[in-house]
Amino acid sequence: MAAGLRGRIAAVRTLVFIPAWNEEASLAAVVDDVREHLAGADILVVDDGSTDATTARARECGVLVATLPFNQGLGAALQTGYLYALREGYDCCAHLDADGQHPAAEVARLLAEVEADRADLVIGSRYRNPDAVLENDDYKPTFSRRLGTGVFRFFLTLATRQRFTDTTSGMRAANRRVMSLFSENYSPDFAEIESLQLAVRQGLRVEELPVRMLERTGGSSFLTPLRSAFFIFKGVVVLLVGQFRPRRVEAGR
Amino acid sequence: MSWLPSAAEATQVHLTSQTRIVAAIIAIFFMLLILELIRRDRLQERYSVIWFIAGLGMLAGAAFPGLLELVADLMGVRDTNVALFSIVLLLLLGLALNFSVIMSRQAAQITRLAQERAIEKAREQAGNGSTPTRGSDAAGQGRREPE
Repeated sequence: MAAGLRGRIAAVRTLVFIPAWNEEASLAAVVDDVREHLAGADILVVDDGSTDATTARARECGVLVATLPFNQGLGAALQTGYLYALREGYDCCAHLDADGQHPAAEVARLLAEVEADRADLVIGSRYRNPDAVLENDDYKPTFSRRLGTGVFRFFLTLATRQRFTDTTSGMRAANRRVMSLFSENYSPDFAEIESLQLAVRQGLRVEELPVRMLERTGGSSFLTPLRSAFFIFKGVVVLLVGQFRPRRVEAGR
Repeated sequence: MSWLPSAAEATQVHLTSQTRIVAAIIAIFFMLLILELIRRDRLQERYSVIWFIAGLGMLAGAAFPGLLELVADLMGVRDTNVALFSIVLLLLLGLALNFSVIMSRQAAQITRLAQERAIEKAREQAGNGSTPTRGSDAAGQGRREPE
């Protein structure tokens, strides 16, 4: 790239995408929050086949909307965002949940890490903050959530030899190396954990940053005890299988 | 183990010529059915190979009952019927796995298709001039060609 041109496009192009499945209640507030704290970023809502007015709500907000024709799971929705960011030539991208648990101000902190090139992929962790004072609306994990997190934390740390505390966090920021990896390989079923394992195995710099998360403002958690047990079992199997995948296919291309 | 009758001896009576004829007829009809399905475009050739092999196996078993007994002997099974059922079971297991593989591939293809369509829509929206985003200045100049 010519030096003169570089000066003009010095502003890093950033895409913030929000995977949403039936989140009409909380979406508008999340979009407003992102607009406020990430003024320069383009916003894309990935509607994962919602049956409510999520797409309409997003259009009313005046953001870009990618609507999947049917529900395909969080992994497929996130991959859509990464693919869009890659194709449209964004330098950085970040995503956060549409249910209002993730403050955009924290996403901005993650993006700053990526823009400073201190990491390829930055995860917002709700746990790695020992001296944080719990405020009233702060996130308090349930028992099954804590159990699952513990199991995943143990196995993922074992698999990657890197310490992770919040393996299922849906608040992340990434650069183009991650975009090209995730737009090709992203498990539709087990997006969060497997993708971390994959990124580390491909030699990317993955970093965790403690962030503040809130209680959800809309929707409800999909986790019931039985589902949690199945979720944990599936996650462990996925991690095990992931250990046998080839390393470093074409990282950093 | 000479006091035990050999597998072949114990089961020679099981496959009568009648069962052989019935099996052969079924096998031939089965293969004709597959041919007909291909001819009517109800079944793609690439998915029919495995069924043809199954049909040929059935036919071979009917035509040469000694073959089945030989296989039973090799498996160390005394009863030819047990050998037959085991083989069929394994074959079906293989077929089911084969379908799971095909299904997974198609699921991935469908997902990608849906994603491409969604991205195309979003791109249209972005290109319509109603680009709703703030940094639209940079969006115009900094755009790179998709790889």
